[in-house]
Amino acid sequence: MGNDVRMSRSQLLDADQAPITTRVYFADGDPGPIVAALATVPELLGPALSFVGAALGPGSVTTRAKELAILRTSVLQGCRYCIHAHTAVALDVGLSTDEIHGLHGDIALEDAFPQVAERALIGWIDALAGATGAIPDDVWIAAREHWPEHALVELTVTVGATMFLNRLATGLELPTSDQVTARLTKEGLA
Amino acid sequence: MTDSAVAEAINSGELPGRVWIYSNYHCNLACSYCLTESSPRSERRQLTAEQMLTIAIEAKSLGFTGIGVTGGEPLLLPWLPETVAAMAAHLPVLLLTNGTLLGGDRFERAAPFAHPDVAVQISLDSHLPDVNDMARGPDNFEKVVALVPRLIVSGVRVRIATTTAGPLDGPTLEPLRALVRSLGVSDEDHIVRPIVRRGRADERDLGVFAVARDIPSELTIAADGAFWGSFGPSVRAGRLDTDLLLTRTILPLSIPASTLLATLRGLPEGADASLGIR
Ligand code: SF4
Repeated sequence: MGNDVRMSRSQLLDADQAPITTRVYFADGDPGPIVAALATVPELLGPALSFVGAALGPGSVTTRAKELAILRTSVLQGCRYCIHAHTAVALDVGLSTDEIHGLHGDIALEDAFPQVAERALIGWIDALAGATGAIPDDVWIAAREHWPEHALVELTVTVGATMFLNRLATGLELPTSDQVTARLTKEGLA
Repeated sequence: MTDSAVAEAINSGELPGRVWIYSNYHCNLACSYCLTESSPRSERRQLTAEQMLTIAIEAKSLGFTGIGVTGGEPLLLPWLPETVAAMAAHLPVLLLTNGTLLGGDRFERAAPFAHPDVAVQISLDSHLPDVNDMARGPDNFEKVVALVPRLIVSGVRVRIATTTAGPLDGPTLEPLRALVRSLGVSDEDHIVRPIVRRGRADERDLGVFAVARDIPSELTIAADGAFWGSFGPSVRAGRLDTDLLLTRTILPLSIPASTLLATLRGLPEGADASLGIR
């Protein structure tokens, strides 16, 4: 996980250039590179943020499960921006550094996640975000033994929304913020 | 926001009836206060004739009452006169031009403008040739003053637009008004407006600052997207200004039109609604 200091590939709008329909997102200061990039197509910004907010934000499953899905997906997709941002969020919601190293693929998942239920969930996430084509029934069945169907549907949407962000951030080469870089350096996770 | 809401808003006067179209951004001139930093070297950012006609047709069905065509210099596009006439079959068209590309033999290109629903608006900034030409380029005064009576004699309705850093009315404008009258253009067809501090005017410290509320909320379509007001798609240091961008989607026109109306209804009062910008 190197620290990429390249500039964004696309223009990141500031408050002065924020389109008239997007100014609310800039009212409290720098809204971050995802908003600043999406604002160049203002009609997409609101719908995209509503979807991402609902898919990644609070829901029926725990914040821990959501962050696990988001960070693991970002690792599988190789998205530098999202790995950085969500490694910091994972720390905030209480994942241990060992668990984060496990999601990053630095240590064995079995060692980082002793609970079978979480390993079954990671199996489902890996099948969604780390492969293409059909997913074998046994992966779904293993996850269903521990998670209600609606929770897996919700987490599947979380993975899909994360993959959208992954490709957006990777395609546009969005820059990692200085605060996130400093935080990860301090935690030995940069 | 439904299409009929747009029509009702136009009917009630809440939304202006005219849709502006930036046909292109390049220009044979390079005026000192140009909002779009236009020049012969500018990126063209050009709409097609088909897009312009479609905008006119959809504008009519949405309830808009007129079309304005501006640029850049629209007459740099070879097909522009015939397209203006085709658009005028649907809605009245006001064409803005610098008036320098219709001299001599090229005058015959103006024939389609002799149409009851077409008016041509030409810029003239001063009754003093040197003052006018300082902002607008060499020989501009002479070309405009020669063209206007020729157009009028040919049956073209002509309006004159004066863009100024000076007062918008009063005795200092009287010599210019007299000149415009002598060319055959009535006072009501002579509009005087301030330089708006956007584009090249901003770079050169010219004109008045304007926020969205100061700028009439006319739907404005350019190749880069749809904007709030005809001053929206300005260019500064080679980069399009996006502060008044509504949508990148320009067609179907109902998308930017309904976004404009929703934005209009949600905006706070502007700093100054009395700048006289039009
Ligand atoms: S103000 Fe009009 S005539 Fe002058 S450079 Fe700009 S587009 Fe051309």
